[in-house]
Amino acid sequence: MSQQLTQKVDVELPAQSVIPRARPALRWLMLAVGLVVVLALPWFVYPPVAMDIAAWALFAISVDLLLGYTGLLSFGHAAFWGASAYSTGLIAIKLGMPFPVAVVGGAVVAMLLAIPTGYLAVRRTGIYFAMVTLAFAQMLYFLANMWGDVTGGENGLQGIPKAFFGVELVETDAFYFYYAAIPIILIGVFIAWRIVNSPFGRVLVAIRDNPARARALGYDVERYKIMVFVLSAGLAGLAGGVFSISHGFASLQELVWTTSGKVVLVTVLGGIGTLWGGPIGAAVVVLLEDRLASSGFNGIGIITGTIFIVIVLAFRHGIWGTARNGLTSWLNRRRIKTGQRL
Amino acid sequence: MRTKSIAVAATAVTGSLLLAACGGGGPASAGGKISDGKVVLGLLNDQSGVYKDLSGPNSKVAIQMAIDDYKKKYGDKAVAKDIEIVQADHQNKPDIANTKAQEMYDRDKADIILDVPTSSAALAVANQAKAKKKLYINIGAGSTALTGASCNKYTFHWAYDTAMLAAGTASAVVDQGGKNWSIVYPDYAFGQDMNKSFTAAIEKGGGKVQQSIATPFPNDNFATFITKAQSSKPDVIGTMAAGGDLVNFVKQFNQAGLQGKTKLAVGLMFITDIHNLGVDQFQGTQFTDAWYWNFDDQNRAWADRFKAKTNVRPSFAHAGNYSAALNYLEAVQAAGTDKADDVVKQLEGKKINDVFLRNGEVRAADHNVTHDVYLAKVKSKDQVKEDWDLEEIVKTIPAATAYAPPSGACKM
Repeated sequence: MSQQLTQKVDVELPAQSVIPRARPALRWLMLAVGLVVVLALPWFVYPPVAMDIAAWALFAISVDLLLGYTGLLSFGHAAFWGASAYSTGLIAIKLGMPFPVAVVGGAVVAMLLAIPTGYLAVRRTGIYFAMVTLAFAQMLYFLANMWGDVTGGENGLQGIPKAFFGVELVETDAFYFYYAAIPIILIGVFIAWRIVNSPFGRVLVAIRDNPARARALGYDVERYKIMVFVLSAGLAGLAGGVFSISHGFASLQELVWTTSGKVVLVTVLGGIGTLWGGPIGAAVVVLLEDRLASSGFNGIGIITGTIFIVIVLAFRHGIWGTARNGLTSWLNRRRIKTGQRL
Repeated sequence: MRTKSIAVAATAVTGSLLLAACGGGGPASAGGKISDGKVVLGLLNDQSGVYKDLSGPNSKVAIQMAIDDYKKKYGDKAVAKDIEIVQADHQNKPDIANTKAQEMYDRDKADIILDVPTSSAALAVANQAKAKKKLYINIGAGSTALTGASCNKYTFHWAYDTAMLAAGTASAVVDQGGKNWSIVYPDYAFGQDMNKSFTAAIEKGGGKVQQSIATPFPNDNFATFITKAQSSKPDVIGTMAAGGDLVNFVKQFNQAGLQGKTKLAVGLMFITDIHNLGVDQFQGTQFTDAWYWNFDDQNRAWADRFKAKTNVRPSFAHAGNYSAALNYLEAVQAAGTDKADDVVKQLEGKKINDVFLRNGEVRAADHNVTHDVYLAKVKSKDQVKEDWDLEEIVKTIPAATAYAPPSGACKM
C-alpha cells in the first residue's frame, strides 16, 4: 500500500526518484557502481582533480537539498563553502589539528553562520530568498577581503597543512590524501541521503510543492526551512573544508558570487532533486575545466555556458534526470513486453 | 534473494578495489642526473587577461630563445640535452595559480616554474615550490613579501619589486620639485605594498603625501577618484594601477583635462602599456623601468631576435624570463644535475651580467636578484623615430641604491 502511495507521488513529481524505489536491486547496483567509480577515480584522474570533483559533488548535493527538495534557490552558498574553507584552514594552521577535525570544525562554523542567515532568508521565497543569501555571501566576501590579518585578504590563506596523525604518505601525496579524505565526503553524501529519505525529507518536498498546504497540515514551514538551510550549509562546509585542505589554500575565490553561481550551474546541469545529479554535474564541469585549461583553451565560460543553455532548453531534468527518465521508460517498455509486473 | 547477491557482489568488488588502491599507486622516482631524462621549464602566467601583453605567451618565445642559446653554447657538452617548455594560464587568480603550479610540478614534471605575474598568485606558487622542493623564479610579480616574510629556499625574485619602483620614481619626481602627492592605488596586496613603498620614499625625499586613495580592483571608472585626488591641489598624482587598469586610469586622467596641468607619476608601467594606449597619452610621464630594449646595442640585438619571432618588441618581463631561464640552465650545467638543492647552491650569490641583468647579483640572504635599473620618461610624439621607440632613459639607478637591503623578515 505504502509502496503504491509513494509511486503515485512520483508520477506527480518527475524530479523524485523512480527507479530505486521500484527496483531495489537496481538501487544497490547503482550504489555499488557509484562507490567503485569514487574509489577508482584517482587512478584515472589526476588525484587533486579527483578530490575537486568529490568536493564539488558534495557542494552540489548541498545545494540540491535546498533547490531540488525544498524549492529554495540559494544564490549565496559560496558563503558556507568559503567560510568553512577559511575556518578549516585557520584551525589547521593555528591549532595544528588533523585535517578531519579541522574540516568538521569548518562545517560547524558554516552551520553557525547559516542560522542567522537562514532565519532572515526563509521569510522570503524565490528571487528575494536568492537576493538575501547573495547579500549575505557578498558581506562575507568583503569581510574576508578586509580582514587581511586573519584571512590574508587578496593573497588568500596560504600554506594550510594536511596534518593526518603523522601519516606522511597522506600528508605529502595527493593520491593517498584522496583516500584519507573521501570518507568525509561519503559521510556527507550519506547524511544528505538520510535527510532526503526520511519523514523530514518528505515534509521538505511537501513544502516545495505546496507550502500553504504543508502549513495547513500543521507543519511549521519556516522552521523546516531553517533546519534544512543549516543542514545544507553544514554539507557545503564539509565540502569546502576538504577542498581547502586538498589545495592547501583558501582564497577569496571561494567566497565570491561566481562560486555560488557555479554550484547552482553544476547542480542544474546534473539534474536537481536527484542527489546523483550533483556528482555527475561536478564531474562534468570539473573535468571539462581541467581538460580545457590544460589544452590552453581560454573560453572555458563559453563552453560551460553553452552546455548549460542546451541542458536547460533541451533536457530540463539535467544530465542525470534525463538519463534516468530515458532508462525508466526503456525498462517499463521492456517489462510490458516481457509481461513483467511493474 | 537476487538483491542480496548483487549487494554482496558489489561489496566484494568495492572492497577489493579499495585494497588494490592502498597497495599500488604513488609516484615513481627515476634515477640519473637529470630527473625523468629531461629538464622541464614551466611558464605560468596570464595568457588571456590584463597582463597578457606584458608577458603572456610571448614569454614562451623568450624562454625558447634561452634554450636555443644554451644548446648553442654547450653543444655536446650540455648536461641538459632534452629541454621542454610547458605553459599554463593562471588568469591572475591565486587559487588557479596554486593548482596549476602543483600540476606543473607533479603532472608535467616541471623542474622550475617561471614568471607568475600578480603578487597573490606568485605567493601561492612560492608556497608550492617550498612544499615540492622545486625551483620557482618570479619575474612578473612585484611584492616584496616574496623576499621577505614569505621567502623560501626555492624561490627567487628576478626582475623588479615595489620598493625598487618607489625608490626610482618617487625620489626622482620629488627631486624635480613634485613635493605634494596624491596617491591612488588599487586596494589589494600589490597596490597596498606600492602605497607603502611610495609614501616612505616620498617622505624620505622631503615630500608629502596629502592623501592616499584606495580604489576597487579591477576597476573601470576612476573619475571620482581622480577628482578627489585633484581636490587637495597636489603637484603630483601617483597612480599605482597596472595593466588594463592603468590604461583606463590614464585615459580618464587625460579626459579630465589634467594632462600637462598636474604631473602624473606611474608606479609600474610596461612598454606594452604605452604602446597600447599611444605615446601622446603618456608623454612626459616618468617611471622606473627594469630594462629597455633600445638602451644599448646588446639589448637591441636581442630585441631584434625577439621581434623576428613575435613581431613585437620585448617588455622587461620578456627579457627577464629569458635571463632567468638561461641562468637556470647555466646553473644546471654547473651543478651537473637538475636536482633543485644543487641548482639553488649554484645560483645563490652568483654575480651575473647578461642582456637583462647589469651588475646583477643573486642575493643569498633573501634570493632577491638586484641589478641596475633605469629612470625612464615617455617620449613625445615628435621624438619617436620608429615603432616601439617610446622611452627615453633619463638615468641609470645603480643596483646598490635601487634595491632595499635584505629586510630581515626572511628566514629560509
